[in-house]
Amino acid sequence: MEFEFDEDQRLLQQAVRETLAKTAGLPEEELWATYLALGWLEAPPVELAIVLEELGYVADPTPFLATATWFAPLAGRLPSGSGTAVFDGAGRFVLDADRADEIALLTADGVVVVSGADVTAERVATFDTRLHVAHVTAGGVDATPLAAGVPDLALMGLAATTVGACRRILDLVVAHVKQREQFGVPIGSFQAVKHKAADMYVAIARARVLAYFSALTIAEDDPRRARAALMAKAAAGECQQVVQRNGAQLFGAMGFTWESELHTYLKRAMAGNLLLGPASVHRKSLLNMEVAAL
Amino acid sequence: MRLGTDPEVEKFRAEFAAFVDEHQPTAEEARERSQSSSDVPEWARTWQRTLFDAGWLLPGNPPEYGGRNATLEQVLAHQEELSRRRIYHSFNPQGIGIIAASILTFGTDEQKKKWAVPILRAEMTASLGMSEPGAGSDLAGLRTRATLDGDHFVVNGQKVWTSGAHDADVLLTFVRTDPDAPKHKGISVLLIRTDTEGVARRPFPSMTGLDDIDFNEVFFTDVRVPKENLIGELNKGWAVAHGSLGHERTMLWISYAERLDDLIRDAPSDADWFATLQMDVQALRLLGYEQLSGGQNPAEISVLKLFGSEAVQQAHWHALDEQGQAGLVHPARTAPGNHMNNDVFGASWWERYARSFTGTIAGGTSEVHRNIIAERILGLPR
Repeated sequence: MEFEFDEDQRLLQQAVRETLAKTAGLPEEELWATYLALGWLEAPPVELAIVLEELGYVADPTPFLATATWFAPLAGRLPSGSGTAVFDGAGRFVLDADRADEIALLTADGVVVVSGADVTAERVATFDTRLHVAHVTAGGVDATPLAAGVPDLALMGLAATTVGACRRILDLVVAHVKQREQFGVPIGSFQAVKHKAADMYVAIARARVLAYFSALTIAEDDPRRARAALMAKAAAGECQQVVQRNGAQLFGAMGFTWESELHTYLKRAMAGNLLLGPASVHRKSLLNMEVAAL
Repeated sequence: MRLGTDPEVEKFRAEFAAFVDEHQPTAEEARERSQSSSDVPEWARTWQRTLFDAGWLLPGNPPEYGGRNATLEQVLAHQEELSRRRIYHSFNPQGIGIIAASILTFGTDEQKKKWAVPILRAEMTASLGMSEPGAGSDLAGLRTRATLDGDHFVVNGQKVWTSGAHDADVLLTFVRTDPDAPKHKGISVLLIRTDTEGVARRPFPSMTGLDDIDFNEVFFTDVRVPKENLIGELNKGWAVAHGSLGHERTMLWISYAERLDDLIRDAPSDADWFATLQMDVQALRLLGYEQLSGGQNPAEISVLKLFGSEAVQQAHWHALDEQGQAGLVHPARTAPGNHMNNDVFGASWWERYARSFTGTIAGGTSEVHRNIIAERILGLPR
């Protein structure tokens, strides 16, 4: 097994970072058009994980995640426009359901794709105001009994996004503790601060490799893919816990304000943990599976 | 990135597996147990020599040093095969992993023949004299002195935590040779035979039991060491410390993965911690593979050391805790006996947990590694 990016993957990562640095602050429609033009939606799983990690890093406001990792694996194709999917068996807390052009529904009889206009989706007010989450309540849905079955890609997608958001939080925190002085020295010179930052770094490293391993098992349709996806989602949630706790703490009172951008990423990471169930739920699922060697 | 196995590596693995099947000592032959990390029973010496002579002891080495110039991936497969079979790589682990490795990296050809080869062939056992009462995490603060007198160094001072010293034939000893230089720049490395006049070893038991005798205090009083026993250049001992420990640390994560694998086999549970354990071992392996591919900040090794040793500690705490009152029993066996393995890996749940602190304290404490990550990876000010 080779667990490092190849040359093309490294170049893609660099290109995505450069693009997102340039497009920061543009309206959603322009961002969306840029991503489409660059072909990011067509990226295979590992490359998609690279894109998603960077989109998490900027707390992307577009429906990219739902389109690429919720709609696509269920429908087996990309939507015309944006897409999402209902696969929790209930239509609750569906990412981007209020604005998706197409919605894939997992039903007892298989997958049904309906137009977004054919369902009633009520956006839920959440702490992450840039995130669209909706309850799908009526319309074309009631003809079909919904079934539960979350695609591996959807778990991996949230994991990679969360890892990206956590990386951003760590970068912001590191910059802050280097510059913020108390008692005449940068607070980053205190061991109590260093150790919290180091633990954030380790938690991110652990979650990052498990997210990419999940992407790799999906790419190669490896029998370990279901296990790997659960691990990726659980590890991202655990990483979020450490990064939120230490990150918010180290940023001090500044990080508690709306003015500081820290909260944007804290919220995206927290949402990444809660959507499709938090870490503890996925650890529990993992315990119901056979132990398998790497 | 790709999954799947490399046919060359699998061929190598199969060849080693066949060799082990054919040559591994039987339980009857391997009855005598090792008492310390430099106590190698006769059967284990013969086995280590068999591995050395066939190029299977340290496959990454050239043939004259017990290997076959194997690639990193092949070395990893070799480790995995040993681990899967619960075969302890060497009953003088620091001898082959640190001392012989240091001599092979920094020694002269003559020193390699005289010391490294006998250690690798288990004709001689070696312990590592680094820590002192006043020099633990701050190794460069060591005070054991060596002064040149004709063609000998004269050594005075004290080491402590010297694992296996009372059973060792030689000690790789870090000494101060220039007391006036900045503390990192006045250190040298000497090989000292333990039967030299003036060397006194006082073994003392660990918290796991009065019969667990591995640690030693070693006192040096006017010990005369031939000049030719200097390993590496005079006053360049810090490079040896970094080189040899660095070498050891590169592969250290594998031993943590082994302990985690042991627990998956020995302590199956449907409690939450068991899922964390599975994730930890998976993530540790992936981080290890990533690191083997190279090109990273060398400080990333600290991530593996810190994460691996703390994951082992946490999982062992849970394994013990889950026992409830039954966890009080000690001594006890908690894994099927395996004559090729180190007995402590199947000791009582309490002992297994207690021993996890060697991971978070030895080889740089977790706190030191957190500092390294913060300063050398994240760039926080010293």
